[in-house]
Amino acid sequence: MPRELAVLDALVPTLMFAFLAAVAIILALDMAMVRFGLYQYVWYPALFRLAIFVCVFSSLGLWVY
Amino acid sequence: MNSASILFNGKARAVATAKSVWRDWLRLDAPVMTYVAKVLLAEIMALWLSLRFEFDQPRTAMMTVAIVMQSRAGMVFSKSLYRFLGTLVGVVVSFVLVSLFAQEPILFLLCMAAWIGFCTAGSMVFRNNHAYGFVLAGYTLCIVGLPAVASPSQTFNIGTTRISEILIGLLSASLISDVVFPARLWDVLRDAVRHRFQDFSSMLREALGTEAGSGATRPALTRFMGDILNLETFRASASLENDPSRLRRLRLGQLNSGFLAVATSYHALERLLYRQQRNGRLEVAAALKTCYTPMGDALVVEGRSARNELEARKITSNIKLYAEALPGHLASARNRLQNRLDATAQLDFETGAELLTRFVDELKTYLSIYTALNRPVATDRKVAGQALSLRMHFDPLAVALSGLRGALSLGLLATVWIITGWPSGVEAITLGVVTSTLFATSPSPTHTIRHFIIGVIIATGMASAFDFYVLPQVHGFAMLCMALVPWLVICAWMTTLPSLAIIGTSTFINFLSQVGLTSAYSTDPVLFSNNAIADLLAIALSGVMYALIDLSNSRWSHRRIAKALRRLMVTACREPLIPSRYRLEGDALDLVQRLGSLQRKVSAQEKEAVDWLLSTLEIGHAIIELRKQMKELTDVALLARLNDCLDRIARLHETPTVVNHDNAVQAIASILHAMEDIPAAMALPHATRHQLNTMLHFIHDALLDEESVLYVSTPLIAEEGSNAA
Repeated sequence: MPRELAVLDALVPTLMFAFLAAVAIILALDMAMVRFGLYQYVWYPALFRLAIFVCVFSSLGLWVY
Repeated sequence: MNSASILFNGKARAVATAKSVWRDWLRLDAPVMTYVAKVLLAEIMALWLSLRFEFDQPRTAMMTVAIVMQSRAGMVFSKSLYRFLGTLVGVVVSFVLVSLFAQEPILFLLCMAAWIGFCTAGSMVFRNNHAYGFVLAGYTLCIVGLPAVASPSQTFNIGTTRISEILIGLLSASLISDVVFPARLWDVLRDAVRHRFQDFSSMLREALGTEAGSGATRPALTRFMGDILNLETFRASASLENDPSRLRRLRLGQLNSGFLAVATSYHALERLLYRQQRNGRLEVAAALKTCYTPMGDALVVEGRSARNELEARKITSNIKLYAEALPGHLASARNRLQNRLDATAQLDFETGAELLTRFVDELKTYLSIYTALNRPVATDRKVAGQALSLRMHFDPLAVALSGLRGALSLGLLATVWIITGWPSGVEAITLGVVTSTLFATSPSPTHTIRHFIIGVIIATGMASAFDFYVLPQVHGFAMLCMALVPWLVICAWMTTLPSLAIIGTSTFINFLSQVGLTSAYSTDPVLFSNNAIADLLAIALSGVMYALIDLSNSRWSHRRIAKALRRLMVTACREPLIPSRYRLEGDALDLVQRLGSLQRKVSAQEKEAVDWLLSTLEIGHAIIELRKQMKELTDVALLARLNDCLDRIARLHETPTVVNHDNAVQAIASILHAMEDIPAAMALPHATRHQLNTMLHFIHDALLDEESVLYVSTPLIAEEGSNAA
């Protein structure tokens, strides 16, 4: 993967797209977790969400680099 | 032995005192300290990240934190989202404008004024954070676009840097509020709902003891109306929060509209009882009261009002029993009255009985939603009711004037800037536009701006001390943090005090905007004082603008609100499609909220606006009920007469003159008479006829209420009408 992508001739870091993708994935996951009531099995939902986000974003980042 | 027990008692007392002190501290001071600590943490995180990414102005990120940080996570999320969206739009528009008019400052400024006017107008149409997003889209153009007049090639850099810095601020604020000791909106909402129920049932019980309609419940009712809107605001923010409040968003909405319905019906019932007492129909009032009194006992748990949902469950079953017994009570009262009263007084009683039944029904629905609040969400479908619908509000004149105000401040400051070639002109324009657009939606802009100026003065002092004495001594990030902490703590603490909130926020934001936290440190006293003067000048100018174009606090604007409320009634009478009750009530509340009268102590003029609101809610509901019953009618002659009635009521609300008032009252009286003779009316099913009769009678009485605002203000407006003619 290239480190930077050209959007309308402006170079944008690919990581930014990875970040946006990670946000989208997290939102979908979050909605599913709320829908099926899975958060009641989690001690600290906010930390859990953050941790999942870090995992997703890092894996996407590893894929870019 | 004895002395030992005394000693023991003393110890126990000391422990008890210590415990209560500890509990008080936990309840009152701990949240404030946690909040201040969270703000600090978010600020330092934003500073570190911006320095790490080597942005030009870490202070923008810190300022963003100061702006979006609020005590509840959900509010931080929603404000962050709209701040981001607003900035994004503003930056894109700046790119477009700079690429079009880079060589033409005048054209550029004109387009800018148009855009800012448009955005300010948008902020008047939408509410809360949506409005904030619009304001931001407007003034971001100043921040990004104006420096471009000197160096157009820098625009892209300035724009992207600003977005990145703001994003860093937003992410730090959101992350810290979500993860570190999160304070959820749900707690606030639940407490608010519980308190409201407690207050409301206390009010009902107290009202039983006192003379009906003595006006004692009015402040409480006004407060309830304000609460309903506050809860709506919180509810809107709660959608972004991920915990129970989001799951129960729908239910909270239903609860809110259920409560509005109950409060409105209660008001109508209270006015009716009062009118009967005053008109000397004491027997009717007494009979209604005997039916009403058992409700007081039904509302009690262990001698007081219910504090939470569990206790309310008990009350629900009490009220259900009472509702089942109510027809019996009413029937026996009717029997007692039958021989003693004439037909009008009997109709009075029937109207009261109808209202009472409706009120109890609504109370039952409200209670069932309330008790279901904590139940698992899967049962959501079973709860009946519709959420309150607050719509966009489009008031062309208010929108145009506030747009004009924003554009005018920009125009004036830009003229000064261009003519004098003042180096801090950009700063002045930016802050002038920010202040003259941002506070347009606040309940009392002049008051807000006065506090804001005090904040700016304090911030200037603080920032000059920090810039010239502290900052030069600092080496390294750790020392920078240590140097910053005391100032940030003072600012953050000030924002938590209700009386200092605006001053505190202003101090916080302006301190951060003036400190020399840029990537390359420079102390330039001349530039600093120039900017400080620019800030003060700009805010003073927008203060003058708010004083000149005052939309919130003048006699004129109150009259306009009253007129708009009356117009709602006209549409309720005339619109071919019968408006839903929620729609009418939501619209009416919204209008008065724009005035800001529900939140603060009201002056005499504002009281009039609230009176109009109560009158609209009272009569509007009866009209909607009436029109619903009319749909079942088939007889053309009867329908025509009823429509004529509605038309006259509408005309009365359009132009409340004595003649129109008399016309409306007479039309209703004659049709009430005719209902007894017209064969078509006699042929109606009993229930329909009963409903029609009681609703007409209710409207008739409400129009004749000597203390209702419709009656009181009629001669006044009539005079004006004749003057105008």
